[in-house]
Amino acid sequence: MSQSQEHSTSTFPSRAIPIERLIVMANQIAAFFAPYPAARRAEGIRNHLRTYWDPRMRQDLIDYVAGGGNGLSPYVNDGVGLLVNGGDKKGYYGPPKA
Amino acid sequence: MANPIKPDKSVTTTCAYCGVGCGFKAETHQGRIVRMMPWKEGKANHGHSCIKGRFAFDYYVSEDRIRTPMIRSSIDDPWTPVTWEKAIAHAASELRRVQSKYGNKSVGAISSSRCTNEEIFLTQKFARAVLGNNNIDNCARICHSPTQFGLSATVGWGAASQHFDSILQADVIMVVGANPTEGHPVFGSLLKRRVRQGAKLIVIDPRKTETVESPHIKAHAHLNLRPGTNVAVLDSIANVVVRERLFNEAFVKERCEWDEFQRWAEFVSSDRYSPEAIGAEAGVDPELIRKAARMYASGPNSTIYYGLGVTEHSQGSTGVMCLGNLSLACGMLGREGVGINPLRGQGNVQGGSCLGSWPHVFSGYRFVTDDDVRKTFEDDWGVTLDSEPGLRLPNMFDAAIAGHFRGMYIMGEDPVQSDPNQGHIIEAMRQMECVVVQDLFLNETAKYAHVFLPGSSSLEKDGTFTSAERRVNRVRKVVEPLAGYQDWEVLVMLMNAMGYPVKYAHAGEILDEIARLSPAYKGISFDLLDRVGSAQWPCDENAPEGTEVLHREKFPRANGRGTFMLTEYVPTAERTNDKFPLLLTTGRILTQYNVGTQTRRTANNRWHSEDVLEISEHDAKSRGINDGDRVKIASRFGSTELKAKYSTRVASGIVYTTFHHAETRINVITSDLSDWATNCPEYKVTAVEVVRVEKRDAAKRSKSVTHTETVPA
Repeated sequence: MSQSQEHSTSTFPSRAIPIERLIVMANQIAAFFAPYPAARRAEGIRNHLRTYWDPRMRQDLIDYVAGGGNGLSPYVNDGVGLLVNGGDKKGYYGPPKA
Repeated sequence: MANPIKPDKSVTTTCAYCGVGCGFKAETHQGRIVRMMPWKEGKANHGHSCIKGRFAFDYYVSEDRIRTPMIRSSIDDPWTPVTWEKAIAHAASELRRVQSKYGNKSVGAISSSRCTNEEIFLTQKFARAVLGNNNIDNCARICHSPTQFGLSATVGWGAASQHFDSILQADVIMVVGANPTEGHPVFGSLLKRRVRQGAKLIVIDPRKTETVESPHIKAHAHLNLRPGTNVAVLDSIANVVVRERLFNEAFVKERCEWDEFQRWAEFVSSDRYSPEAIGAEAGVDPELIRKAARMYASGPNSTIYYGLGVTEHSQGSTGVMCLGNLSLACGMLGREGVGINPLRGQGNVQGGSCLGSWPHVFSGYRFVTDDDVRKTFEDDWGVTLDSEPGLRLPNMFDAAIAGHFRGMYIMGEDPVQSDPNQGHIIEAMRQMECVVVQDLFLNETAKYAHVFLPGSSSLEKDGTFTSAERRVNRVRKVVEPLAGYQDWEVLVMLMNAMGYPVKYAHAGEILDEIARLSPAYKGISFDLLDRVGSAQWPCDENAPEGTEVLHREKFPRANGRGTFMLTEYVPTAERTNDKFPLLLTTGRILTQYNVGTQTRRTANNRWHSEDVLEISEHDAKSRGINDGDRVKIASRFGSTELKAKYSTRVASGIVYTTFHHAETRINVITSDLSDWATNCPEYKVTAVEVVRVEKRDAAKRSKSVTHTETVPA
């Protein structure tokens, strides 16, 4: 972890759980979806966050990405992008449909 | 008392130890249980039992049982015994006070797989309808949550595909990360019977367990992989299946998504998953990987049983998906003798999973985010429900440390002892302003509680358990609850005190509500269970007495087809290094149950009076450790002490212990890493170092342990 990142995470005002933990969790999710084609990868990450994360955790991640997203996998940014701009997908938010 | 004691009453009920769900006739003499007789009609055990179910029942009259509610204003104060009315009123007003001070979502509830289906269902109703949020979780979070996720993703339902007796039709049995001989003894015996009859046995486990070799059986292939490499090895088995074209093309084309199969086949057949590449990484002979793949694929009936050795990893859900992929690819689903079956640790883990004690799904695995589903619950319960997922158990502790979570209601669970990285949990518990613990004993978590409500054991209540084979078994009250109330009755009092009026005449009415709101339980009722003994879900108009084998014609997915997930191996961040060069993994022993709360209070304790550290002679000698020496085991999270025992069951580089004794405090050293999908903790891999403790220090240490034992545990 770089100096600048330590600085950026320690000052991040979390709504639910510490941002360091969210970064680890988000990167793990991204690592799972990594082998999928780009569109499905982003959707898979979005669906996972939408279905399993408390909305405060999601909002913290969205804000952290907006602030530069230091330490996050680029795939997380793609998934979070869909959370913000992808519209609310109705109905199915279960485990990833391949 | 006359000997032999002549029981004057007998009640048929279900054992709460482990997910096999054995039927017992509990026999009493003058209102006290004198023996547990295995029930011949029990569909899981057919008259058999293990040493826990048969003998470990005296805990229910232990002197340590708390018989009176208690409250205190601070965790540093002594407890004050109070009436039920006062305790309930205090808990209700304190939870509401915390909510008004810190917000609606600052409190949550935890249920346990030691509770009945009815109590688990009621706890989620309490969180959602009374607390008004989805901060509800249960102990399956820390054991089998990846099963629900990984199996739903591939075959559609997060549950065993078979009934236990199905194994008697199996030709090849693959056991992954489980030790049924110790953990699920009655099923373990059935497995051994089938192997003695000639079935082939593959065991994938870092440790040479009793399932690998015992006086009656020997595994045909034991893949003793390094802890943390399940996904790599299972992908490598898939690599062989695809490259040698051992898969069942007809089954895949008829029953699965063919495009997804092709994508998966291309993925796993990559050179990076070849047995040579993975064998080196996992410490397994590549030819053993090939042998296992060929054996499993050739069947004709191959079945998979797995346990926490698959799920309790940072890739736990991925590991379960690997098993789903493999069974689909080889066509090993949808008939007797095949299948994929999680072995559940506690009596009612399957029920805990089914009945909505999760922050993201209601009972029946239906999502809180789904408007139509939520409306059916809102209509039944008469309140508006939160449409967003709540916090998971580990998130609750993180949120407490971050300042956003301040109150909990915990029924029958002991997170301070059983959850990982104990120092972190204790720090979180100290932040709470209102912790309500409902339990048989003043457990470790109760040290940080403000209200204690005495619970009832499974021998003192009515309800149902759902076993690992999806079998809904009846739990019947054998003796009166020691503190006066069954657990669901206590929760009903609390719900009423918090302003949500509920009334159930008996537990069967809660089961009726479950049946009304959960499609798979639609046909289940006390009447049905009294009539047919037990029933496996799904149980409805199409299967009025339940379903033994799932997926016979189609998979419970939108298009009815099984699918394949891409399961990249991502090594855990927990690595050995010069400072922590050994890997610790954990498990169970036959005579004890889980954190030992019950079995430690019975004569079973004599069989296993302390947890010991199994270590290879090579690793021990290079550290100057003799067999039986007291050692300190340290990880980057903390350290604890226990006795070392030379063992040939673990390879050099790996150490192993059980977690049945609170004094061992093994979760002081387990890591904070967790499964990517479900946050199920990575109990099975911790980098550690082990050093001999000088006799002088050991004496000092044992003195301090004695001191802590004077505190009520």
